[in-house]
Amino acid sequence: MMDATLQAWLHTQLFEQVPVSIAIIDRNFVIVEHNRNFEELFGPGRGRKCHTVYKKQAGTCDACIAALSFQDGKVRVNDEVGVDRNGHPAHYLVHMIPIVTPQGDIPYIIEMSTDITEIKRLQREYQVLFEKVPCYIAVLNRDYRIVKANELMRETFGATTGQYCWEVFKRRADRCEDCPAELAFSDGQTHVCEQEGINKQGEKTRYVVHAAPLSRTDDSVTHVMEMAVDVTRIYQLEQEKLEAERLAAVGQTVAGLAHGIKNILTGLHGGMYIFKSGLDRGDQGRIQQGWQMLDRNIEKISTLTRNLLSFSKGKIPEIQLVRPSDIVQEVVELYRDAARQQDVELRAEIDSQLAPAPFDPEGLHTCLANLVANAIDACQMSERPSCAVTVRCREQSEVIFLEVEDQGCGMDYDIKQKVFTNFFTTKGEGGTGIGLLLTRKIIQEHGGKLEVDSSPGKGSLFRMIFPRSRLPKPAPRPESPPDTEARPSEETRQG
Amino acid sequence: MEKTEKKRVLVVEDDEDVITYLSLWLSDQGFDVDVARDGNEASEKVKQRPPDLVTLDIVMPQKTGVKFYKEFKRDPRYAHIPVIIITGLQQEFKRFISHRRTAPPPEGYIAKPFSQEELLETIRRVMGEAQTLSREEKRKGNCA
Repeated sequence: MMDATLQAWLHTQLFEQVPVSIAIIDRNFVIVEHNRNFEELFGPGRGRKCHTVYKKQAGTCDACIAALSFQDGKVRVNDEVGVDRNGHPAHYLVHMIPIVTPQGDIPYIIEMSTDITEIKRLQREYQVLFEKVPCYIAVLNRDYRIVKANELMRETFGATTGQYCWEVFKRRADRCEDCPAELAFSDGQTHVCEQEGINKQGEKTRYVVHAAPLSRTDDSVTHVMEMAVDVTRIYQLEQEKLEAERLAAVGQTVAGLAHGIKNILTGLHGGMYIFKSGLDRGDQGRIQQGWQMLDRNIEKISTLTRNLLSFSKGKIPEIQLVRPSDIVQEVVELYRDAARQQDVELRAEIDSQLAPAPFDPEGLHTCLANLVANAIDACQMSERPSCAVTVRCREQSEVIFLEVEDQGCGMDYDIKQKVFTNFFTTKGEGGTGIGLLLTRKIIQEHGGKLEVDSSPGKGSLFRMIFPRSRLPKPAPRPESPPDTEARPSEETRQG
Repeated sequence: MEKTEKKRVLVVEDDEDVITYLSLWLSDQGFDVDVARDGNEASEKVKQRPPDLVTLDIVMPQKTGVKFYKEFKRDPRYAHIPVIIITGLQQEFKRFISHRRTAPPPEGYIAKPFSQEELLETIRRVMGEAQTLSREEKRKGNCA
């Protein structure tokens, strides 16, 4: 048996203490009793018609649920919008429970209302956020079918619920290989990646997608929410920028070429003058000197032309996944003996954790070899008794750095300014100045850049910087022999 | 040219062929020629014996032409000596060297490959101006 005190409390206090608004109405829809909670929400109501209190309206409601319960005695639950005691709209969930006498009459209905105004407000906010946020949102179930898509998603991809995500995002007939939603379903973590899709107009669309797990309980992921930001325009700009950089490199190459040729032409003019003036004077020494100068400059222009051919051949970089550290090691091995013979210590500092990256291994080898050869030359021009060249490779925040540092003669500001813009050489007869240009061209083809830090007498640091996001994609390996679109080699074309 | 006293030209250049060419050609034109293979050597030569004219290349090892030119023109002992820059660098460089705040523009600027006529004409012009300037300076000096 229930304790008498408890029973008394239930009779006297429960009505007032429950956190819902309770009103009891009679068959004339007059409120005969209500609790304090009701009065706080709707205002005082005893003896007044329910519609005047709940909705502050004179007439009865169009669809009166209480009337139905008075007729059939069934409990009903309804979502209602009324007006609170301050005149503000109030959303409430009302349970109507008919009080049935032993004779089967229904003299009263108890209406228990829960205030859901705040929940409704949050729902509206969520709805606006979901629909109007300037990114694509799709909620997927475990079958990868879209159960919900926001406005932008529907407008852009024509998404309809029930379709597979790959049909909508990519117009594919089967699942994608690199699916972030699959990862989110499997490990319950958010996964981010960049993808290329096709919109409903059939245009390519690039987007960065975040696949976040959704679960009603904490233990299993029932849905994944994919939120994708469109980066098509940024991607296009990035591509245009890369192209502009390539064109700038071509322009600078032409400018540099002109400079190189000017020097040789001056040498040829000089040779002509000395040779001719020797002939005029019958001076054999001069004739000899002029002839040698002509000979030398013709040789120079031949060398330049040969180098240029290899520079401008338009060799398509063959991109494959390689370990940059392997190439560093190769180049260091290649030059170690030559360096030692010139009293230069060649060292490698390699981050062995560096993951493979898409590079043209031959191109990267050329860049490193050029920089190492230059560094050894710079050491020869140095006044130090001993000199070291260090080749480093490391990665930081998805950016690969390859550095060649020497303790050689260094460069002053004016030389630094011209290092990459001209066929520039400080090696007198020894260099054509094409090495650094070629190096920069290859680096730019990889979306990277070359920085130089140098001071006279202290040495130089050449740093190649390759952000992983800008590296080219590895070429797919054809299973069949290359088709007719593949370019024949220079030799084949000439032959 | 005065027969009794040959004018002296300092050729500052690192390319051996250009050195040979300029030296012989300038000698044939009646000049005494001295050669410096970079800016440092040029500074030394100028100190030992100031020339009447300097032809100056820009891109050289050690001290470059730009650095030498700046120091040379800021030194009151040498500021009146005309300099002809002979370089393969392009028009942008001509603008750069002609508009520096730290030094006056060069008296002559000749792009490689140069014609002998152009060089001779430039030499005559700048040496003529230098002589006029020299007389002017002397006159001013006398007045003071």
